[in-house]
Amino acid sequence: MADELYLENIDEFVTDQNRIVTYKWLSFTLGVHVNQAKQMLYDYVERRRKENSGAQLHVTYLVAGNLLQNGHVCHKVAVVREDKLEAMKSKLSTIASVHVYSIQKALLKDSSPLYNTDYDIVKTNLQHCSKFSAISCAAAVPRAPPDAPRAPASAQGPQSQRDPDNASAVNGHGPPAAKPPPQQHRGIMGMFAAKAASKGQDTPKEAKAEAKEAPSVSAASSKPPTKNSIMNNFFGKAAMNKLKASSVPEQPKEEKEVVKPSVAAAEPESSPNTVAEKPGKKTESSRIQQKDKKSKTKRADRSDDEEEGDPENVKKKRKRIKQLQSDSSDEEDVPPSPTPEEERAPSPLPVPALKTELEPASTEVPAGGRKRKRKRVLKSKMFIDEEEGCM
Amino acid sequence: MFSEHAGPTAQGLLAPPSAEPPTFPRVPVQGYSDCSQPFQLGERSFSRQYAHIYAVRLAGMRPGLEQRARSRWGNDIALRKLSELQAGEKCCVVGTLFKAMQLQPSILQEISEEHNLVPQPPLPKYIQPSDELILEDELQRIKLEGAIDVQRLVTGTILAVYGSEQDDGRFLVEDHCFADLPPPLPWNGPSSDRFVLLASGLGLGSVSGEALLSTQLLVDVVTGQLGAEGEQSCAAHIARVILAGNLLSQNTQSRDTINKAKYLTKKTQAASVEAVKMLDEILLQLCTSVPVDVMPGEFDPTNYTLPQQPLHRCMLPLASAYATLRLVTNPYQANLDGVRFLGTSGQNISDIFKYSSMDDYLEILEWTLQAGHISPTAPDTLGCYPFYKSDPFILTECPHVYFCGNAPQFQSKLLQGKEGQRVLLVTVPDFSATQTACLINLRDLTCQPITFSSFGADSED
Repeated sequence: MADELYLENIDEFVTDQNRIVTYKWLSFTLGVHVNQAKQMLYDYVERRRKENSGAQLHVTYLVAGNLLQNGHVCHKVAVVREDKLEAMKSKLSTIASVHVYSIQKALLKDSSPLYNTDYDIVKTNLQHCSKFSAISCAAAVPRAPPDAPRAPASAQGPQSQRDPDNASAVNGHGPPAAKPPPQQHRGIMGMFAAKAASKGQDTPKEAKAEAKEAPSVSAASSKPPTKNSIMNNFFGKAAMNKLKASSVPEQPKEEKEVVKPSVAAAEPESSPNTVAEKPGKKTESSRIQQKDKKSKTKRADRSDDEEEGDPENVKKKRKRIKQLQSDSSDEEDVPPSPTPEEERAPSPLPVPALKTELEPASTEVPAGGRKRKRKRVLKSKMFIDEEEGCM
Repeated sequence: MFSEHAGPTAQGLLAPPSAEPPTFPRVPVQGYSDCSQPFQLGERSFSRQYAHIYAVRLAGMRPGLEQRARSRWGNDIALRKLSELQAGEKCCVVGTLFKAMQLQPSILQEISEEHNLVPQPPLPKYIQPSDELILEDELQRIKLEGAIDVQRLVTGTILAVYGSEQDDGRFLVEDHCFADLPPPLPWNGPSSDRFVLLASGLGLGSVSGEALLSTQLLVDVVTGQLGAEGEQSCAAHIARVILAGNLLSQNTQSRDTINKAKYLTKKTQAASVEAVKMLDEILLQLCTSVPVDVMPGEFDPTNYTLPQQPLHRCMLPLASAYATLRLVTNPYQANLDGVRFLGTSGQNISDIFKYSSMDDYLEILEWTLQAGHISPTAPDTLGCYPFYKSDPFILTECPHVYFCGNAPQFQSKLLQGKEGQRVLLVTVPDFSATQTACLINLRDLTCQPITFSSFGADSED
């Protein structure tokens, strides 16, 4: 029965974990009203004392009442040890409340452990510290954001409290001044985090995940998504190089398949930060370029092979390249395969240069087309190979 | 009295868990309006001389004082300016008091190299038998002697003296009077029990942790966590909490870092940073349950001169998310449920304490009400903003509750005025020292102290 469960819980807390169980701590831990917690503690003490194994228990009580002091009637609220309880009660002229404050195994010399226990549990439950209280205040509502126009952090604070998404909470509590640098990192790392997160998932799931991550990571970003086309251009160039260099082991098939959602994800990720755009674009574009590269190679692979596992495909592609490397007829693949990896390192450097020069989508073709031409040559060769022999 | 109805259910929680325990709604906010606009400074400019305050103070209080003088000494008395005085003529003069004190700390004396003086250590009181009173008006000044208590009065008070000028150029005072209590405000108080909790001197950031549990107990009583059902339902009648200054302890004011070399203090954090974080958490717990007004005090991170401006909300990110938190000025004036509150964080009273023979904070509080001015010693010995248009510290209406924070002990008195004024004077004690706060019942203007205690290694009680 749930009634008996709390007795076991308290028993465990007090005797096994040797904790100081205050009514507030118990209320937050078990999720009950404070008054119920006080009653639970009392019930536990009574039962244990009856069983005569309560010698190990020390109880502190809260006593409140009126006291005549210095000529006026003073309301006194005191936390007392059990042995001083009756003395305090007799001092008070009228008693307003008596209840158990805490139970612990050891005899407390002073009340600072009580304070520490309460402080810790309140600290971990700051956002709903009045949830189990006996008084509810209708006026205690967080301020609406328009009331705090110059404090976006605090405005997002209450919103993020309600928002279960941890990412936005982190975002909301950060000071506005510090937003750009962490978001910059978030922009770049976020893409890789997105990549890592999306690894091993289905395409639709990943698209959703990435779409979710995009708004969550860039909760504060309000950049309009008009940069899609421009981003696409840059993605076409440097994405492939950078991506291969950075996430060589992680090349899931989904990456190439969800070029667009990832572009959408990457774009808002890097959009809040204009400073991060270039490196973001670099990484994004390199990644997308790589995706394109991969996609093209993979398309070729697919056309060559039947559908297999995505990482397997990638590896197979690599294997194939390696095999091509070993194959003298496809030596042209050899330089492209290691060199693309090497090229990726220098490619981000020429790529931004290319990027800055070549904005529109059409120019992306000749810039990346260099490699693509090679790839096309590769493919054709591969086709020839396939036609000639089986691969 | 607070929780007088709590008796029956006092021991109710010494029982096994019962059915769903009740939750009491907090009494709603009714009729609150903030009246401290005169104390809110917008653009502050310190390019003016302080003489203007005295000029506007005298000009603002002169009509009221002349009326008082007439009603006290007869309608036909001669009201003269100092320049119009004639020797031997009994007349009444209205002017500003100046007390020449030998021990008064003077920055000019301190930096004077001729005297080679060591700066004077702060004394509890600067009064001496050799102090003299001088009356000034717009143009002249004259020494006062006679039936006037030199030790008791302080600089900056506006008063009317009745007497005559002597041959040696001094004014022999036969009687004097102050502006007396301002006109009363109509009473619109609530008909049922409504409490306001006044606390001051929380003293967070101090080295000693004894008061911390008491502070937590205070928060718990107000938020309804502590106590049996009866007490909790009484606590739900606490409509507001006013924290009257000195939320941070004096220990957070350490100025050592200013004198030390930068390389020694590079990694150290100001003590007030940790203290403000603690304050934010405490205020958050309070704000989720009750409207709170926070007044700055002497050791709080805001400006030093009176009127102190509200603490900035960026220091309290967690608590200022709630609409129940109000950061207000010092002095603070507001209408709560039809009851007019006016109070300070105690700097004005403690400054008068230093320069007057009055020892009792309640007595000084009452005296300021009689003198018609919240803080007469500003700007002479208490920092003040150079007002030039009007002096906002002049009392124009009589509040219903007049309090000062950070007093050494709790005292309260219900003052009845001649014109039907009813004022509850409250000296709110320093919580970090006394663990006592005040509960004011708005229905009948009574005040009850509420003390918190825990057990220590040397527990008595």
